[in-house]
Amino acid sequence: MPNQNGRVFGLTFLCPILDDETLQISHDLQIRDYLATLPTDERSPFALAPGTHVARLVVMDDVIYVGMPAHEEHLASKYLVFETNTDADLPGYLRTLFDAIPQHIDAVWSHCTGYPGTADFDKLLAYMKACQIPTTFFFAAVNDKSVTETLLALQTQRAVAEFITTHQGMAPAQLQREFLEFYQALQSLPCPAAGGKLPRRVIKTGGHNE
Amino acid sequence: MSNINGKLYAMNAITPMKPWKTWILRVIFFLLWHIKSKQQDLINLSFIQFARWVIIPRNRFPSLSSGQKQETLTYDYLLFFSNFNGTWNQYIDAFSAVLSTGLNLIWRWSEKFPGSVPVTGFKEYIARIQFDTDYYYTAYPEATANDTKAAHIVQGALTTLATQAAAQTPEQFQAAYLQFLLAVQTHLGDTGDAPAVF
Amino acid sequence: MSKLNATDVQGFVLRGYNMPHARFCFLHFQNAAAGRHLVAQLLGSITTGQLWDNGKPQSTLNIAFTFKGLTALELPLATLISFPDEFQQGMKDRASILGDIGKNSPEHWDALWRGADIHAWVAIHALTPETLEAQFAQLNAIISATGNIHLLGSQDAAALVIDGKLSTKEHFGYTDGFGNPDYLGVCRNTQPGQGKLLPDGTWAPLATGELLLGYADEAGELPVAPVPHILAANGTFMVYRKLHENVGTFRAFLDEWGARYGAGDAAAKEKLASKFIGRWQDGTPIELSPDAPDPSIVADPNRNTDFKFGNDLSGSRCPVGAHVRRVHPRDAFGFNGKLVDRRRITRRGMPYGPQVDPTTPQDPATLDSTDRGVVFMALNASLSRQFEFVQQQWISYGNDAHLGNEKDLLLGTHLPGEKFSIQGDTNPANPPLFCANLPNFVELRGGDYFFLPSITALAMIAMELVDPR
Repeated sequence: MPNQNGRVFGLTFLCPILDDETLQISHDLQIRDYLATLPTDERSPFALAPGTHVARLVVMDDVIYVGMPAHEEHLASKYLVFETNTDADLPGYLRTLFDAIPQHIDAVWSHCTGYPGTADFDKLLAYMKACQIPTTFFFAAVNDKSVTETLLALQTQRAVAEFITTHQGMAPAQLQREFLEFYQALQSLPCPAAGGKLPRRVIKTGGHNE
Repeated sequence: MSNINGKLYAMNAITPMKPWKTWILRVIFFLLWHIKSKQQDLINLSFIQFARWVIIPRNRFPSLSSGQKQETLTYDYLLFFSNFNGTWNQYIDAFSAVLSTGLNLIWRWSEKFPGSVPVTGFKEYIARIQFDTDYYYTAYPEATANDTKAAHIVQGALTTLATQAAAQTPEQFQAAYLQFLLAVQTHLGDTGDAPAVF
Repeated sequence: MSKLNATDVQGFVLRGYNMPHARFCFLHFQNAAAGRHLVAQLLGSITTGQLWDNGKPQSTLNIAFTFKGLTALELPLATLISFPDEFQQGMKDRASILGDIGKNSPEHWDALWRGADIHAWVAIHALTPETLEAQFAQLNAIISATGNIHLLGSQDAAALVIDGKLSTKEHFGYTDGFGNPDYLGVCRNTQPGQGKLLPDGTWAPLATGELLLGYADEAGELPVAPVPHILAANGTFMVYRKLHENVGTFRAFLDEWGARYGAGDAAAKEKLASKFIGRWQDGTPIELSPDAPDPSIVADPNRNTDFKFGNDLSGSRCPVGAHVRRVHPRDAFGFNGKLVDRRRITRRGMPYGPQVDPTTPQDPATLDSTDRGVVFMALNASLSRQFEFVQQQWISYGNDAHLGNEKDLLLGTHLPGEKFSIQGDTNPANPPLFCANLPNFVELRGGDYFFLPSITALAMIAMELVDPR
């Protein structure tokens, strides 16, 4: 099944949401409320758990009626759709979430039917497997690079553009020296935070024109 | 709730299909997956970071406990999840303009699909079958698919230059540096904020 | 398509008049009756698209309305709300979409655009200053006789005179006016490079509906248009933008970077200027002639717009971010230009303000502060799909061209830290160059979106006969 494209995995889950008519706020709305408060930048739970390229959580409260002559039908349960593009397969990826953000997993999935909690990884894995829907077709524009590799490449791209712009017309010996310094400084930079804005001008080498 | 994070847009769409048609679609996807040349247009379109289609047969909606009500559906459902750059209109306009045959092949099995040309009816259909994203995360909100591809090219060229640089004479380095500039000169577009949505 | 009724379309839509003098008058209607009366009085004088086979007239007259103008004319609500959103909003409210920020944001516009609502644009084009004044006097007489019409202000524009001859240059020195698309049924002669690219590599006119409402467009359907159909048909939407040019800033920038480009001499500076927009200052496309201008190409309509970028993906002839390549990428995005065909606009620009005197040197600050620039006017069937898309995605952004956030050098609103990439090759006279510290060369001083109705629609408006269905 094409849950994998090159080195990238496309995981899709449909988790039935609890239906409790005694609640003042239904479980699906509680999920929506919680998700609405979660940061989507570098403070996102997915930024804290490495290996997520892109992920979404969607409350699917029903199927959609497209009008006559199709007939109208409805879901018996509401489902939480979890769609994620990751560097690892389900067991490996779930492990990173389990280790890094168990509180968020609990906060969201405790509204779902059959959710076993985060006390036991194997039970959680079995649950997610039961909710997983195999991908029918998976497209990835870049399928051979990890999140870390891409973040580093974006940092490199920005730093290189800056270096080139500020070192035009420089004598070869000085250019070579400053390039080597620049490259060394770049190598020692940490990987930028996932989910956030790239820092500007992190390397100060010589050059002119700024 | 937002379908947008930085330069990325999350589209979710769901369409009903008569179950016998599902098998035709499976064969089409099987062929599309195994004949990579058929994916070339999707790659060349260059503003889709990730996209996937998921068929859920009517009796395969996950059932996790005996207390959960059984689904009694008569249609199978085609779910579509796309992560694209640019505006909603731009995305659909482009699809309709250059990929209409492929789109029709995928969605013609869905109920009430009007065809991807002309574009207005197609947009109305998508607007109807689209449902919104509650939470959307991307590891690189400031970068498009093109931006990440470009960044990897710069990274590769830089590594090549750096491995030679220390051992070169200044003149050799100057020549290598020019080659490096030519290799990266179309890949240095800055990343950053997305344009305003409209 | 069926034959276009050119006598029902305002002439300004179908052709550039090529008249050296113009005055754009901006009106406010005190009440609907006055507005309607004015339209009725002007109706017989409006220049139509009928061909000038018996010679040009001395002057022309055209009219267009903002959404506020149509509201002031009390068109039926069902008609008003059927106009596209962006037209209803007007250009001011689209500032964030268009990148009209900082100095370009509406609070910095000329007083004319910050005062009472502009309801109508009335344009006079003329062959001489005298005929311009004569036509303007007539207009004024009608305005006074009608009463309750305010002439809020006007904008003069005039072709620049170079070596005693009328030119199509603007104040930076570039030759303008090459790139207008051909449309089916609109142009008598089509020019290679002007319409849409066909799979066999030849060019064909664009569908009429890319310019005029009421005709099929490139997507094979009628453009979004107000009801009733007859109000919309043969009409179009116009963008009006007064673009101030900082000539001193431009020259200083060109001096600074020209000195660091190639041999750093006058020839290098001239070449660099051509890289900014993709044409030498005389208009020669650098894609066709990258090393020097070639007047024989400029003079030949079969050559001066007939080029593609597909064999120059590295941008070493014409930079990927050069102006002409941004606004008309031709085959650069693949798919035989299919992603481009519905993003074309027709431009009717004219310079305004005093011509820079080449004989007396002026300091950059004075050159910048003098009120001069280009009145940019563009026509299209859909403001959002055509003009706004080009302005946002291709001028103020670069993703489609694989340029990330890089903007058009001359038209972009630049923020600190931005650069402009000029690709090159191993030829020392054609090196790569990355310009930094980008100033803002152009500043928006005002403008709006207008509806340019057909003659029939003008009559309907004048007679209060717009029936919403």
